[in-house]
Amino acid sequence: MEIVQLSLLGGLLALDGTSVGQFMVSRPLIAGLAVGWVLGDPVLGVAVGAILELYLLVSFPTGGSRFPEGATATVVAVSAAVVADSPAGLPLAVAVGLVWGQLAGFSVTLMRQLNSRVVPEPGRGHPGAGGIVTAHLGAVAMDFARGAVVTLLGVLAGRAVVGAVHGPWALSPADSVGLLLVGGSASMGILLRDLGGFRKRKTLFVAGMALGILGARFL
Amino acid sequence: MSTVLGRRETISAFMRSFLIQGSWNYHTMLGSGFAFSMLPALEKLYGSEPEAMEASLERHLEHFNAHPYLAGVALGAALRLESEGADPETVRRFKLAVRAPLGSLGDGLVWAAWLPGTSVLALALYWLGLPGWWAALVFLLVYNFGHIALRYWGFRVGLSEGRMVGRRLEQANLVMWTARLKAVVTVLLGILVGALLAGSNGLAGAGIVWVVLATCAFLAGLLVGHHAWRPAAATVVAVIGILAALGVLT
Repeated sequence: MEIVQLSLLGGLLALDGTSVGQFMVSRPLIAGLAVGWVLGDPVLGVAVGAILELYLLVSFPTGGSRFPEGATATVVAVSAAVVADSPAGLPLAVAVGLVWGQLAGFSVTLMRQLNSRVVPEPGRGHPGAGGIVTAHLGAVAMDFARGAVVTLLGVLAGRAVVGAVHGPWALSPADSVGLLLVGGSASMGILLRDLGGFRKRKTLFVAGMALGILGARFL
Repeated sequence: MSTVLGRRETISAFMRSFLIQGSWNYHTMLGSGFAFSMLPALEKLYGSEPEAMEASLERHLEHFNAHPYLAGVALGAALRLESEGADPETVRRFKLAVRAPLGSLGDGLVWAAWLPGTSVLALALYWLGLPGWWAALVFLLVYNFGHIALRYWGFRVGLSEGRMVGRRLEQANLVMWTARLKAVVTVLLGILVGALLAGSNGLAGAGIVWVVLATCAFLAGLLVGHHAWRPAAATVVAVIGILAALGVLT
């Protein structure tokens, strides 16, 4: 039953990624909270979601680009982290989520190629109003089904991977977080470059950093 | 605006614009989504003329692309042009002319500034110690305030200005707002980096080795740009995989 719930949630969140609304409930931070809530551990869900959000800071659902799908990645990662019973659980779950996000992104590309063949376009018959509605909503339904199936497979694979690791884990919990944050730091560097680069933005960036350090120390 | 289109058709078109990317594809991109959003209005305008209806569907199924939040500008303007009885070539040329500016303005404002900005804000709050669900709530509320306001404004501008929409977009100076927003996002990014460096649940708690490695990864991202993303993520995944395999083998 839980697997079905997770698959349906994955399908719904995947829809938000591009097809419907883009209210960004599909972002890892929100998806992590939602999945954690469904699985009874929202704190862990947010922790996994925040780390994946850091990684996907520079990944946006722009129309034609191929991007890792954060929503399904997060559902897979949180569902794996919840069942893990070793210190390796969190880093393994995030790693599985990152890999699955790439595969899910590939499935988005495949679906768009399929859409190219089935949606009405000028010169390809006369679909009429009903045909346009059917094709459009059919594509939305297909995206939901894609998200649900990708999530289902990911949850099964993720839990199998995390469940297979029972041996000792070389890193402490703090070191594991450190390792995960190293990868996320690259995204922050990329974002600063996108915002104009360090040379142009150094005053604002350094001022913000000072505020962040003070906030972390005193809040 | 129109003497023909009613409130029902315009609201329906606006609501449907939230699904405009539903059948995104590599041939017509937003084309079928645009036609889907226009349908209620086209049925009202041409419902009694099957040939005119078919022709209007054909022209709105054509290739179209824009940022989804700003596609409403073109949608509103196309509704106005259709309701005014503009000739098909004018409608076609208008859509052709606005798609690139609406794409680049939206990408710059939303994908390059608003989304990362609100995301960084939420992450900074989280790593500064705010409960996770609060950070998530702040993100959702702040992001969607801007998101829905932009969609609504764009659609209204399109409806009211029609083919003169370019003038209003110029007056709105979205490029300037994007630049200002990026300055704010830079400060927020600095706060996030500071919180991660000094926070007990961040790199400070992990130790100096991780601070050094994270700094190297940050610099790699800063210098190389988006090409650094996959190698960085793949390295972390590989290290985790190797450590897990070593744990299983011992």
